[in-house]
Amino acid sequence: MSDKGLPALVCENVTMRFGGLTAVSEFNLVVPEGALFGLIGPNGAGKTTVFNIVSGVLHPSAGSVKLFGDDISGFSPDRIAHRGIARTFQNIRLFRNLTVLDNVLVGLHVRREANLAEALLALPRHRAEEARMASTATQLLRDVGLEDFSSYRASALPYGQQRRLEIARALATGPRVLLLDEPAAGMNPAETEDLMRLITDIRERFDLTILLIEHEMKVVMGICERMTVLDHGETIAEGTPAEIQCNERVIKAYLGGGVVAEN
Amino acid sequence: MMARKRVVLSILKIAAVCAALVLFFLLLAWGQEHWDAYTVRILNLCGIYIGITLGLNLCNGFTGQFSLGIAGFMAVGAYTTALLTMAPAIKQAVYFIEPLIYPLNSIQWGFLPSLLMAAIVSGIVGFLVGAPAIRFRGDYLAITTLGFAEIIRVLFTNIVPITNGALGLKGIPPHTNLVWSWGFALVCVAVMARLMRSGFGRALKAIRDDEIAAEAMGVNLFSHKCLAFVVSAMMAGVGGGLLGNLITTIDPNMFRFPLTFTVLMMAVLGGLGSITGTVISAALVTVAMEALRALEEPRVIFGLALPGIPGMRMVVFSVALMMVILFFPKGFMGDRELSLDRAKSLATRLRRANTSRQG
Repeated sequence: MSDKGLPALVCENVTMRFGGLTAVSEFNLVVPEGALFGLIGPNGAGKTTVFNIVSGVLHPSAGSVKLFGDDISGFSPDRIAHRGIARTFQNIRLFRNLTVLDNVLVGLHVRREANLAEALLALPRHRAEEARMASTATQLLRDVGLEDFSSYRASALPYGQQRRLEIARALATGPRVLLLDEPAAGMNPAETEDLMRLITDIRERFDLTILLIEHEMKVVMGICERMTVLDHGETIAEGTPAEIQCNERVIKAYLGGGVVAEN
Repeated sequence: MMARKRVVLSILKIAAVCAALVLFFLLLAWGQEHWDAYTVRILNLCGIYIGITLGLNLCNGFTGQFSLGIAGFMAVGAYTTALLTMAPAIKQAVYFIEPLIYPLNSIQWGFLPSLLMAAIVSGIVGFLVGAPAIRFRGDYLAITTLGFAEIIRVLFTNIVPITNGALGLKGIPPHTNLVWSWGFALVCVAVMARLMRSGFGRALKAIRDDEIAAEAMGVNLFSHKCLAFVVSAMMAGVGGGLLGNLITTIDPNMFRFPLTFTVLMMAVLGGLGSITGTVISAALVTVAMEALRALEEPRVIFGLALPGIPGMRMVVFSVALMMVILFFPKGFMGDRELSLDRAKSLATRLRRANTSRQG
């Protein structure tokens, strides 16, 4: 590929203002290809805002986002999905009334080749594609361990499996970069262990670059190679898990600044 | 061996479906001549309303875009078809206030090209209305499209050289028969069934369930919503055209809000998001609309003379609608479908329950 060596995802001086509030200011990020990168910070630090900017839900007030060197800032979410960024959501957003299999099939729709006329007339290319999509979707469900539930309504799945389904649906769009927004939220320790295995596993199998928001320190410290720490919209630290764990500004942001004691 | 068997089976299946269709239409063609005019009229309305309601359900039910503009699209289709099928001499007689503009005053098309034209024109109008309106969600979309339908009606009342204004059109050739109206219904069912079994249909349902997630999964909201809106408008347009050529006279006041409401009621009763539910409920409501006319006639019950109350039918429909909303909040079928597979799985489940009880 021509873009070998370019970082998978770059944020350059990304700033997001909502009226008078600056949610993210001068944010810089370089995620190398194939990395498993963490984005952490206390509540309200601007992590999800960064995700929304990268995935096109929000358009940054200033700065740019680059995917393998191409500027994608200001693109609509569906164009960004075409370019190869997929995401999951902090508060699960499945297609609740569709079956588990159909949820994954919607993700595959983005890579379709047959057009509407072929679909309406059930022409061979459409039929072949539908068959191919069904087997790909089934394989993806097997990958995340949901193959036995493919005909269930998505809303009928237990919470932990809904999160897995979101990951399968995101993988179906054929991404090169995967954004996971608090994938372990609300999971018990055993489910979290499984999830960590799943994340490292899909990175290998699908040749992915993963950017991860997480509050569960066990997950972040356990699987991320590097991470960026945000607080009040500003980057306060960047480094390996070991560096972050003993960084004073990070500890201050998480445990409080001790303002009273200093006075 | 297996593959060949499957091919043979699928050919047999297609042949069976074709034979059933031919028989069905032969029966309709025969019925057109031999059944009484009242029955034929009601059956025609059934077919037309099935198609129109499917169109509405595509937009409101499957895609979740609550539009109330269906009467406007029906008006566009009805006027297009009527103007193209009427004979020039009749047009001259009908347009006595202001003559019809050229070239409409001198052409007469066949029924099929006129209906196709109605589909194209209402599809274009559907795009022109839909493209800006689908940026709105929920109530705002409903109000915008309702406003559009009213604008169409007012326009049609006032562009006298084209629509003959409030006088409407009379003497439209009665082309619509059972074969046309049920042919239309079947085409609509086929289009909907194909669409919903393809990736496009799944994308529409994904938009209904969660717009933000659908967009993040690469579904282009604008083009998919437009697709639903335009196809819906086309079905309403052709349905309107068939309706005009069935009752042979149309005027702008036919296409007021109650017409939209009737179609919406059919869709809600059957289940927003169910093709089979829509077909059943559109047919039932159309028949009931006529059957319940008996309620509006004066009658004597136990020696008590009751005067006829016009509008009693609608009271019954209101009560029925409330009952359905109370007991079946998603309509009779919800978003499920009646199908052979479903019936089969139900049968096996019953059999299994039976054997387990015995064993």
